[in-house]
Amino acid sequence: MAAELLMTPYAMDRFMGRLIAEGPVMGPRDRRVQPGFVKFEWLSSADELVLEYTTTTIPPKKAFFPPRQPLFEFELSEPPTITAVQEATPFTLVGVHPCDLAGLSMLDDAYAREPAEACWPAARARARVIGVDCLPDEYCFCFAMNTCNSREGADLFLTPIARGYLVEVLTEAGEEMLRLSDVEDAEDEDRSQAQAFRRDKGNRLSASIDASPEEFAEILETQELGELWREIAGRCYSCGSCNTTCPTCFCFDINDEFDLGLTGGQRVRTWDSCQLQEFALVAGGHNFRRIRWQRVRHRWHRKFLYLYRTFGRPYCTGCGRCSRACTADINIVDVSNEVIARARGRV
Amino acid sequence: MREADSVDVTEDITRFYQPELARVIAKQRLSEMMVMLRLQRASGEMLEHQPGQFLQISLPGYGEAPISFCSSPTRTESFELCVAAVGNLSEAMHELRPGDFVGIRGPYGKGFPLEDLRGRDVLCIAGGIGLAPLRSLINYVADRRAEFGRMILVYGARKPSERLFKDDLANWDAREDFETLYTVDEADEGWTGRTGVATVPLRDEVEIDPTRTTASVVGPPVMYRYVAAELLAKGMAEDDILFSLERRFKCGMGKCGHCQLNDLYVCQDGPVFRYTQLIGRSEAIEVWAPEDERQ
Ligand SMILES: Cc1cc2nc3c(=O)[nH]c(=O)nc-3n(C[C@H](O)[C@H](O)[C@H](O)COP(=O)(O)OP(=O)(O)OC[C@H]3O[C@@H](n4cnc5c(N)ncnc54)[C@H](O)[C@@H]3O)c2cc1C
Ligand code: SF4
Ligand code: SF4
Ligand code: FES
Repeated sequence: MAAELLMTPYAMDRFMGRLIAEGPVMGPRDRRVQPGFVKFEWLSSADELVLEYTTTTIPPKKAFFPPRQPLFEFELSEPPTITAVQEATPFTLVGVHPCDLAGLSMLDDAYAREPAEACWPAARARARVIGVDCLPDEYCFCFAMNTCNSREGADLFLTPIARGYLVEVLTEAGEEMLRLSDVEDAEDEDRSQAQAFRRDKGNRLSASIDASPEEFAEILETQELGELWREIAGRCYSCGSCNTTCPTCFCFDINDEFDLGLTGGQRVRTWDSCQLQEFALVAGGHNFRRIRWQRVRHRWHRKFLYLYRTFGRPYCTGCGRCSRACTADINIVDVSNEVIARARGRV
Repeated sequence: MREADSVDVTEDITRFYQPELARVIAKQRLSEMMVMLRLQRASGEMLEHQPGQFLQISLPGYGEAPISFCSSPTRTESFELCVAAVGNLSEAMHELRPGDFVGIRGPYGKGFPLEDLRGRDVLCIAGGIGLAPLRSLINYVADRRAEFGRMILVYGARKPSERLFKDDLANWDAREDFETLYTVDEADEGWTGRTGVATVPLRDEVEIDPTRTTASVVGPPVMYRYVAAELLAKGMAEDDILFSLERRFKCGMGKCGHCQLNDLYVCQDGPVFRYTQLIGRSEAIEVWAPEDERQ
């Protein structure tokens, strides 16, 4: 068991202040234009940090995989010159929920698969991660996805208790960070409060997928459910919000952008969505997932079948973001359970 | 563990997204739509590839796209690509002149399995610009003739003016040890050869020993299902039929998701697939798929 310490709210405030003084810190803070809505953003002072929040619209993957990322700059000289855009500053990512820790770890695996991608691990190597426990809302189903107690990739992990936070020290980097803080030894009472917090969290999680990951994968693999996908796709707008808000989606587009002078520019990587119609379009007008229901089905198959088979766990953390984001009320738990019910109803 | 106040990431990023430079050393117009570029790495080093593999080629400012090698790896001092003008990048590539630079990443992907082809009869079926990647294989067979059995090429172009590699076509046709069947969809005044789609001579004129033959098929998506039916009718095993598939590619390395065909990444697991790999995969819609998946 990792070392457990106590950090009071006052000590936490000073700790964050010192971290921010030392280098860039990204963490959850109120949206300036929409207080009460929290987003991951660079913090300019410790009092901006909102450690107790339900969820964010955009997951913290953006710290390592920005929505828009220049890959290199080019100059149209003879020969053209190409210069990599390198971010090298270390930073700290604070306030990551267990499900999002699992999401980051899934992207570690996905991008590390040979041939390994380069930007993601380079950004991960620059960062220390501090996780924090949370209480779910009605969209969360992390218990069902086995991510609700994840500590993957965290250097420190915080659980809210009466006297402040119980701090789990998970790595040497975490221990190193605590040199900036005033921690105390935790007492049994602190530990049992943290346990009670986790129990309470578990009790509040009601949404669940009605089949094991393996059974669900088998259903998707073997059952022809075109009717159901068509019904669901009948409500979908192909807006792509379910992808952009998802902590396990990692598809991207690459495009060149010219500078105003037209003598140079950048090759830029941006988030992309398999729900958009042109995602699989090629020259000549062939589109290999032209019809909306094929794209809707693809999202489920990719998460719960293909990536599950490749990496041994479903590529869904149970964060509920896609369901919250969908204006067509396409809820990932409801649809998954409908798939399961129909498949079982047949046999 | 972080000790210094910056982390060295130079190697990493370069490896994945950044192209190296190659120089155009010759350019030849093959048809109204197509040019062939002969290229050499700026470093002067050889680029080893297999027939059927592709390069991610780019022009800064215009983007990047996958293009198949159309030269044989037996001819190593340079390599050739054949580009159709269909969009932003490919139109700009038509403007390139000898001496100009392009960016390249690769070679990537799984090409034609030469080890399995050795000793067997090689049946190539090309439609339209599908002849480009097959030219790499055919010239490989030509240069290592003794290692292969029969070499049969069925090639269909839309019009005589769209036929590619006319010199190669004539050379292959003249060889005693090559069997060639050329056709066009629409003849013009000068055309004296076959007319009609490629599946007709394939069906009526090609006799094979199905146990000794491997078929390599590259063409427009509409062609694949019909060719598959003809080959199966000749008694070929599904495992001996190879299809090269086209999808949208962005990364070429199994990460961006654009090329996904069910659980396969066409850029990594292909672009050349055995028919057996595609059967049962609903998104291989050009090869087989229930009617309502195609639409
Ligand atoms: C393995 C492989 C090998 C290939 N080999 C060759 C080869 O040897 N020679 C060759 O010429 N081609 C080859 N191709 C095809 C080539 O990569 C594509 O045609 C490529 O798109 C050309 O890039 P472009 O920038 O010129 O065209 P693009 O700008 O990509 O546009 C091409 C067309 O696609 C459509 N399109 C593209 N993007 C969009 C969008 N966002 N929204 C709507 N429509 C869009 C448009 O209709 C446009 O006219 C190969 C492809 C693959 C996968
Ligand atoms: S968020 Fe909803 S409407 Fe938008 S693409 Fe996803 S499922 Fe469709
Ligand atoms: S699929 Fe939905 S619930 Fe699952 S990880 Fe993605 S956004 Fe969260
Ligand atoms: S082209 Fe990016 S995954 Fe295949």
